[in-house]
Order: sequence, then C-alpha cells, then structure tokens
Amino acid sequence: MDFIIGGAYQGKREYAKDRFRLTESDIFTCREDGDIDFSARCIDALEEYALRCVRNGVDPVESFRAHENEWRESVLICMDIFCGVVPLGEENRAWREATGRLCAYLAGKADTVTRMFCGLPVRLK
Amino acid sequence: MTIFISGGGKSGKSAFAQRAALSLSGGGARYYVATMIPCDKEDRERIARHVADRAGMGFVTLELGRNIEKCLDLADPGGTFLVDSVTALLLNEMYPGDHGGDADPDALRRCVDGLLRVAEGAGNAVFVSDYIYSDAIRYDAFTEKYRADLSAIDRALAGACDTVIELCAGNVIVHKGVWEG
Repeated sequence: MDFIIGGAYQGKREYAKDRFRLTESDIFTCREDGDIDFSARCIDALEEYALRCVRNGVDPVESFRAHENEWRESVLICMDIFCGVVPLGEENRAWREATGRLCAYLAGKADTVTRMFCGLPVRLK
Repeated sequence: MTIFISGGGKSGKSAFAQRAALSLSGGGARYYVATMIPCDKEDRERIARHVADRAGMGFVTLELGRNIEKCLDLADPGGTFLVDSVTALLLNEMYPGDHGGDADPDALRRCVDGLLRVAEGAGNAVFVSDYIYSDAIRYDAFTEKYRADLSAIDRALAGACDTVIELCAGNVIVHKGVWEG
C-alpha cells in the first residue's frame, strides 16, 4: 500500500494518478455522507471517511483493520488537517483525532509514505 | 536564479527571503516588492517592523499591491526582486475595491501571469507565500476559494522556480533544486 498525505490543494490526487498510472475511474472519493469502497485501486479523501465514522460512532482504524485484505495493494490518500489550532467544536476535535490515528496506522502499514507540498512530493518512508 | 518560499506563520520566511535575496544579488541592485496595502494601524505597524528589519540591507522598496509584473518596468530588470508576499497580492487582486465587494474572477490568472513574468524576466527573483492548508476547519465559500486560488499560484511558482524551500521554525527544508546558504 502506498500512502499519500498533504494539505488541501497540494496536488495529492494528481500525483497519485501520475505515479501509479491511475485514471479517475480507479479512484474512489470518500464523502462525509457516503459509503466507502475498500476494494478501490485508490481511495481519496480519507478525512471525509473519518468524519463519517466519528458521526456513526465507528473507529476508522478498526474498520480499516477489518478490511486489510482489500486495500493492502492500494493507494490511499488523506488530507493533512493537523497543523491548525485545536478546533473548538467537539465533533471537529474528534474528527481531527480520528483522522490522525488513522493516518498513523496507515503510515505504519504502508510500503511508501509521500507528503505533498505545493505540488512537489517528499518521500517520508 | 528563482526561489519560491512557503511555510507556516512566523516560521522565518521573510527573514530567510531577505538573506537569500541579499546573497543572490551579489553587488547588484536589489528590490523589495512590497504587496501589502495597509488598511489600519495594525498593518502600518507591521510594515514599519518589516522596514526596520531590512534597514541597511540595501533594498529599494517598490510598493505594488496589484499588477506585480510592473516591478520590472519600475526598476533594473536585471536586479534581484523579493516579492513579499504572494498571499497579500492575491487578496488585493481578488478585492479591487477597498472594502469588500465580489471577488474578481480574473484575479488568479492575473497573479499567475504576472508572477511568472517576474520569474522569467528578473535577474533573480524570490517569492514568499504562506502555507495555510493543514487545519481542521470547514471554511466558508469565500475563504475556500481564496485557499484554492493561492494554492494554484503556489503550485505554478513551485513548478517554475529553480529552488523551492519550506521554512519551519527558522529551519530550511529544500523541496526542489539546491540551496547553499
């Protein structure tokens, strides 16, 4: 599994398409109000999935662990939402916490971890 | 040589950019292209601090809140230009009226075109932007549009510049090209 992390608009998805020769149809984009497809070749916007998990009382790490067979060869993309002030609302704090723990878990499992900065990749692992 | 600099707030971007511009210029002309249009006392104090910080470094200040490419006409284009900051430039181009109004839909194009012309036409150029993309806040549509446009400028400049540097607590992280300083 290859894990890509970076702030908003830093070119994560374009980089994934370029490096792994993906087309838009290979990429599943999570939404806060939609389901996830663990079997997709590439899953983008994991932070949205984490938000959905928080609202449904689900632990996203446990959920990913249960489907490991499906994503162990995939490309996973998450937004870095961790550098601001601790957010005020309880849901926002829980969202940031859950997304952070998911990122740490996936980065641990990943063969490669890449951080995007202004369109440029930085290999972290 | 062209350098693009970004990073979080108070990470030392401006101070590093000044040292970098000084070093690139050698004995040649150096210009500080100031983009902030002061609106209140806080802005004026901030500008006064920046002016004091660069006193004695030999920069000629060019104040250009919009149409950034004009700096090449106002000075010796073979000199070294420090544009601080891309962030303020975009804000000024988006909101040409002094107080609010609708965002100008052509602002992003004007910023990218103008900045790339400076990057191509200047002897040396250093650009400073702000990394505002890693917090857990759902922004309103205006702020989100501003973030999207600023990131598009950042990616265009990072692609065009020889060297791309992120500042973190005064430390230099080189993302592209080389920097020995």
